[in-house]
Amino acid sequence: MIVAHVRGHRVRAEALDEHAQASWLHRIDARAKLVGILGFVIICALMTNSMLIFSSLVLSVLFAGLSQIPGKHLVKAYLGALPFILIASVSVSAFSGPERGLDMWGRTSACVIPLLVLASGTETYELFSGLRRLHMPTLIATLLMLTYKYLLLMSEEMARMSIARRARGFRPGKSLLDRYGLSVLSYTAGMIFVRSSDRGERSYEGLRARGFRKEFPIWSSSRIGVPDISFMAVFLVLSVALVSLQLGVVL
Amino acid sequence: MHIPDGLMDPVVALIGWAEFVIVIGVTLLILRKRIKEKDLPRVAVLSAGIFVAQMLNFPVGGGTTGHLIGGALFAIMAGPLLAMVGMTVILLIQAMMFGDGGITALGLNALNMAIIAPLSGWGIYHMLNQMSFGNRKSDAGRTKSFWDSIPVACSAWASVFLAACACAAELSVSYAISGGRYGIAAPVSIPAVLGYHAVIGVGEAAITVGILAYINSVASKSPSRTSGDGKTVIRLGRTDPSKTIWAAVAILIVFALALPLYFVYAREGRDGLEQTMDDANVQEGSPVLTAPFSYGENYFAALFMGIVGFVVVALLCSGTIRLLGRGHRPE
Repeated sequence: MIVAHVRGHRVRAEALDEHAQASWLHRIDARAKLVGILGFVIICALMTNSMLIFSSLVLSVLFAGLSQIPGKHLVKAYLGALPFILIASVSVSAFSGPERGLDMWGRTSACVIPLLVLASGTETYELFSGLRRLHMPTLIATLLMLTYKYLLLMSEEMARMSIARRARGFRPGKSLLDRYGLSVLSYTAGMIFVRSSDRGERSYEGLRARGFRKEFPIWSSSRIGVPDISFMAVFLVLSVALVSLQLGVVL
Repeated sequence: MHIPDGLMDPVVALIGWAEFVIVIGVTLLILRKRIKEKDLPRVAVLSAGIFVAQMLNFPVGGGTTGHLIGGALFAIMAGPLLAMVGMTVILLIQAMMFGDGGITALGLNALNMAIIAPLSGWGIYHMLNQMSFGNRKSDAGRTKSFWDSIPVACSAWASVFLAACACAAELSVSYAISGGRYGIAAPVSIPAVLGYHAVIGVGEAAITVGILAYINSVASKSPSRTSGDGKTVIRLGRTDPSKTIWAAVAILIVFALALPLYFVYAREGRDGLEQTMDDANVQEGSPVLTAPFSYGENYFAALFMGIVGFVVVALLCSGTIRLLGRGHRPE
């Protein structure tokens, strides 16, 4: 599981928000993107007919292709999320037959790909700001922004510490019985907390100095325009088409 | 344990979302009054720290690795309310930014890892701490001992295991009510998920103990507010002697959250024993003793009977411990 996080993180750290600028997706309002894409993902998760599952997968891939986000970046991000998808679909196909497993793979992939495009094609803070403007609870939105900010700092710290560990000859043990390996890992994690708490205090002072009072001001004040509405409309039409086909097949 | 989109039956996902929204809504309402501006960056740092700690792989054996979930760790360090909010934030970032865990499944993921794991971890930690090992005020100076680590280890293991139980139950209920289009059948999912996480839980327990021991040993320079009685706790909230009651409430909430799934399933199928007896053509004989209570036919009846059962068991256990302890305690 964790490989996914690390890999996902590397992908982000290498080119954080760099691709966001390159794509036309960047110019669409974050709220429109969230509503359109999340609605489409929910509809994709409801598909049960094999044909429709693969049509939705094709639509997702098409959207990824049209989004002008470098394919290499998206493939890397997809590979980061792949372990979860594979575990699910392999265990399904082992028990209920390969067709069901293939359906499961198609469905989960069709859901993940638009989300990854959304994450890569939007500046992170704009995305969170969009969530906030869609009336996500203030406390969670504020914590989301703060946590993401510390996350990037800490994962770099962690990478440094892991290099230092290896430089001193540390090899992770082979199993849970290796007490030494486990204690080194847990002290490393403890050290992350200790170091980061200092950093937390400092950055809190900094936030205070810049006028932070319990919540962040809203990031951008863009208005929903024609491109945003047409973006949502395209996704709405696709979703309605998928749902009606699905209902038609079932009935 | 991150469930992707499209794996669970929509009904199960909807139940997950409904329960998650109710619990997190109540939590936020309570926190809105109590949280101080100063706590915000601390909670964010803890969330980010747990997120990063989740990246540490530990070897499980046979070439596989596992990683921390951190629900119990978060709850022990920050209290259950902040832990639930913080874990929700972690899961949101994972789902939105990294594609780990889906949007439709976010309710279920949050239920398992952001609500059941911290609540049960916190509840079990405080119950064990009060019941058997807690009354040793003389240890004030000692920062680390084997006995101190038992409640931490137990709660960390149990939090992972209970979250895995919930996950396995969701998978098998999805399979049962969708006729195989979603989810994974119980005979596969339950042994696989529970077996794997029973082992992962041991790693979680060891690492949680290690992290808390490390933080405690450098307590003066850390966010921890080590209280005088040598307990390894970073406290953002207050502590009071009625912790045991709140711990019991936490565990009961976990129980109440798990029940709806049982009813969704019971409508469609029957339990394994009944099924087996049916398959083998065995008739249920007339019972030797007619039970005075039944489990109840609807949700609230079952919830009530569950609470009664829990209180009875808790009273019996604490009574037994009192009786056993009477001989040993130097008066």
